[in-house]
Amino acid sequence: MKTQVLVLSAFLFSTAAFAADPSAPTQNPKLTEMLAAKDESGKPIIGPDEQAYFAGLNDNLKELLNQAVQKENITRPEHLAALLALQLRPQKMEILLQNNCILCHSDSANHSADTLFSPTAGAGGAPSHMNLKEVVEDVHFRRGISCAGCHGGDPTADLGHAHVKEWPEKDRATNREWIAAFCARCHSDPTYMHDFNAALPTDQLAKFKESPHGRTLLEKHDSRAAQCVSCHGVHGIRPAKDPQSKVYAQRVPETCGACHADPKTMAGFTKADGSPLPVTQLAEYKTSIHGKALARGDLGAPRCNTCHGNHAATPPGIAGVSRSCSLCHSANASLFDGSKHKQAFDRNNWPECGKCHGNHAIAKTNDSMLSTAKGGLCGDCHRDFSKDNPECIATADYFHQTITRLDEARAKFSSVAEKLAAKGLDVEPINNQLTEITDGLRKSRTHIHSFSRDTFQQVALPAVKAAENTETLVTKAREEYNFRQFWLALSIAVIGLLMLTVYLKLRALEKEKP
Amino acid sequence: MGELSFLNNEPDINAAGKGGGLRGWLDRRYQLTPLLEFLKHKEVPIGSHWMGWYYLGGVTMFFFIVQVLTGVLLLMYYQPGEATAYESIRFLTTKVPFGWLIRSVHSWSAHLMIISLVLHMFSTMMLKAYRPPREVTWVSGYLLFLLTLGFGFSGYLLPWNKLAYFATTVGTNIVKGVPLLGDWLLEVMRGGPDVSINTLYRFFAGHVVILPLAFVGLIGLHLLVIQRQGMAPPLGEKVAPRGMKFFPSFALRDLLLWFACLMILLTLAVFLPYGPGIPGMDWELGEKADAFAPAYPGIKPEWYFLWEYQLLKEFPPHLFGLEGPQVCLFLIAIMFTVWGLIPWLDRRARRDRHSPAFSDFGWAAILFLTYLTLLGWDIGAGKRIDDPAALRNAARVCAWWTVGAGALVIAVRSWRFEHRWFLLSLAALLQVALHGFAGMSYLLAGLISIIFAAVGIAAGFFVQRKPSSAT
Repeated sequence: MKTQVLVLSAFLFSTAAFAADPSAPTQNPKLTEMLAAKDESGKPIIGPDEQAYFAGLNDNLKELLNQAVQKENITRPEHLAALLALQLRPQKMEILLQNNCILCHSDSANHSADTLFSPTAGAGGAPSHMNLKEVVEDVHFRRGISCAGCHGGDPTADLGHAHVKEWPEKDRATNREWIAAFCARCHSDPTYMHDFNAALPTDQLAKFKESPHGRTLLEKHDSRAAQCVSCHGVHGIRPAKDPQSKVYAQRVPETCGACHADPKTMAGFTKADGSPLPVTQLAEYKTSIHGKALARGDLGAPRCNTCHGNHAATPPGIAGVSRSCSLCHSANASLFDGSKHKQAFDRNNWPECGKCHGNHAIAKTNDSMLSTAKGGLCGDCHRDFSKDNPECIATADYFHQTITRLDEARAKFSSVAEKLAAKGLDVEPINNQLTEITDGLRKSRTHIHSFSRDTFQQVALPAVKAAENTETLVTKAREEYNFRQFWLALSIAVIGLLMLTVYLKLRALEKEKP
Repeated sequence: MGELSFLNNEPDINAAGKGGGLRGWLDRRYQLTPLLEFLKHKEVPIGSHWMGWYYLGGVTMFFFIVQVLTGVLLLMYYQPGEATAYESIRFLTTKVPFGWLIRSVHSWSAHLMIISLVLHMFSTMMLKAYRPPREVTWVSGYLLFLLTLGFGFSGYLLPWNKLAYFATTVGTNIVKGVPLLGDWLLEVMRGGPDVSINTLYRFFAGHVVILPLAFVGLIGLHLLVIQRQGMAPPLGEKVAPRGMKFFPSFALRDLLLWFACLMILLTLAVFLPYGPGIPGMDWELGEKADAFAPAYPGIKPEWYFLWEYQLLKEFPPHLFGLEGPQVCLFLIAIMFTVWGLIPWLDRRARRDRHSPAFSDFGWAAILFLTYLTLLGWDIGAGKRIDDPAALRNAARVCAWWTVGAGALVIAVRSWRFEHRWFLLSLAALLQVALHGFAGMSYLLAGLISIIFAAVGIAAGFFVQRKPSSAT
């Protein structure tokens, strides 16, 4: 009996010891009060969603909240409600609760609209860069580099405003020259950056300085030129892979267009030849095959920075055009490089691909471009620059005719095959030949860029042969159908004769015995 | 037994048979003379009705014979199996000389057989040929009808293409509604929890062995009783005034019609080898069955199952504490049972008196089936089969067609045949109108129509009784 009592009391003791966990924080009475506070109409200020979020916080975060209340960084239930309503993940909440800057600047009792981080910033309210939801999404914030990283001071220790020395005291909104060097304090330091993202380049400033943007800003002191903030934003900078980032692939054209499609911003800027810089690139790009592909979600489609570069954004030179294009269109480019046109274009200093296909408004190609008649690319150019060389014209005509015929054959036989299939004929051999034609046609269109009859024929002739085979197969299938109809007619005639015989027999029989 | 009593006697081969040669040789052994005499005197009654209805049974049999012949030819190439079923049919239709024709004729003949069988069944029903003493003819014919539906259902899966696979999945799923046994029955039908190659094996066995054996046996019985009793004379004309000799007059006319059917069959098979392109009447091979491919929308069973498919769709998930499909299946079972028992239910016809209520019952059934089939086809919905507004419009279009056809039938019956009993047809049309025009639920419209018919019948009895009790 005694042993039983002993064991029982030992058990009870150990349970009690577990229940009173010494590490669990005791809630600050002020915090408890705030959580239960009600407004004038008797409605709880902290709504059920925020209460549930608070209840789900881990002990560490609850303790940080306790401390923030203790230090009087959070004094009002409305302020607490705004912070809880962000529904931040624990890692971000931890950073936020230790950041005195944000805690103070997010209390609407302390700040006016221009210095208040508001969760509802935007239209009519605070400026967009003061959106609290954006600030906590910032890639720097998430890595622990918050306000002080740029503005200076120690956000965990004091409430002062001791800014870093690089932070300009005045004119910083109109004179933007300081920004690139300011960001580069970290972004050009390979050792420092390695700790955050080992794969991120650190040459942005060097590239920027050499770019027209950098030169305009740093040498000509024209603050209209784009710098880091123009493309990446201020608070709420996101990585380029984030679809909400201003430099996300699909958003790049609009980001560049913010300046380059705005005549006011671009006024006075000129090209190397002195002509004014156009502002039509964005509109042209949107109509191009590349722009349409990007718009329908093809992230592989080229956009501004694919050809012009990012931090070193520069118009590609004459040679650069074909090099840019060849990054994707490698087969066409290598065929062109071995062609007669290569030297001719180099002599005339023409951009290789751009000469025929254009730049921002590159349209889907069509076979009529090969025409030697007036209005056709080949014809027009050769009349002006090659004195209508008959050999060239004959080759171009051959290309044009072969491709047109193949395309027509493919369209014709596809519809014929469908009709034959509906008649119950075996169209598999026809479809096999059609695949050959389609394949050959695609290759032939590419091999135009060799501008050589022999090279072109290597891929076009098998397709021409397939078209001839198809013709034969279609004729055969039609014969087969005629054969079927002939035998049907014959069978019906025989059956008809039998019926006539039976009918006559029946009449004779019934006449015999009325 | 009369003249057939010779069957019990040991034949005397030395007795003088009729004539010499092969005929005499056979006659001495099998005593054919009485049988031939019987057949010689057999007559088909000529009455006031159209003789054409008598030929439909023969036409159905013609199509069945075509099915057997083409079926045997298909069997020479068809190889059931996961990797061979589809491929062998593909090979047959594309590479084997006239293979396409055999498959096309088999498919066309299947559909034409069902059409002629349904016409045969309804004409028999309208003419009350099921009345005594021909109950067995009706029941055997009714069973042949069920077997034919079985042929259609099992044959559909055999090419193992995508359409057949999903249609069979949907079709077999219906048996789940059978109370208590549903899940077990489904597993037995499919040879596993899902439609698989095991399903194909048992459908194949059913299609080429079990069903044909049963069918041939039943058709033997059906023909035997018809030959023994002769064809039914028109109602009320028990002793036919005149008769047409079965041999040769009727048989040669039969033969003429068979030739005509063969002509039609061959023409259709050559010009429309994959069917007329109507959903449920289309047998283009398409892609091979793939259990992992998603079922495509708008999948429909064959046209003769369409009314059941549509009826199932009209039932809510739950009804009277039971599952909707269960109630629907129960209702369909009742309909089929009533149809089979008609010879015993129609008590006026049993006494050789006109039974206008049962004629009207036949027409009501036709209108009921027509409306559901048209709905199942989404007539008037275009391609927007998922759009409720389009389906409402489809119901309205189907209702117009059905009510129009119903009105025409009533007019013709009333004017040409002097029919005066239309209560059940009107009830069927009332349901169509309430559902199609007023947008009422199909089941509620049906309930109102049943109440309408019941009240009408009760009132009829009351009116009939009153004068008799007064006299």
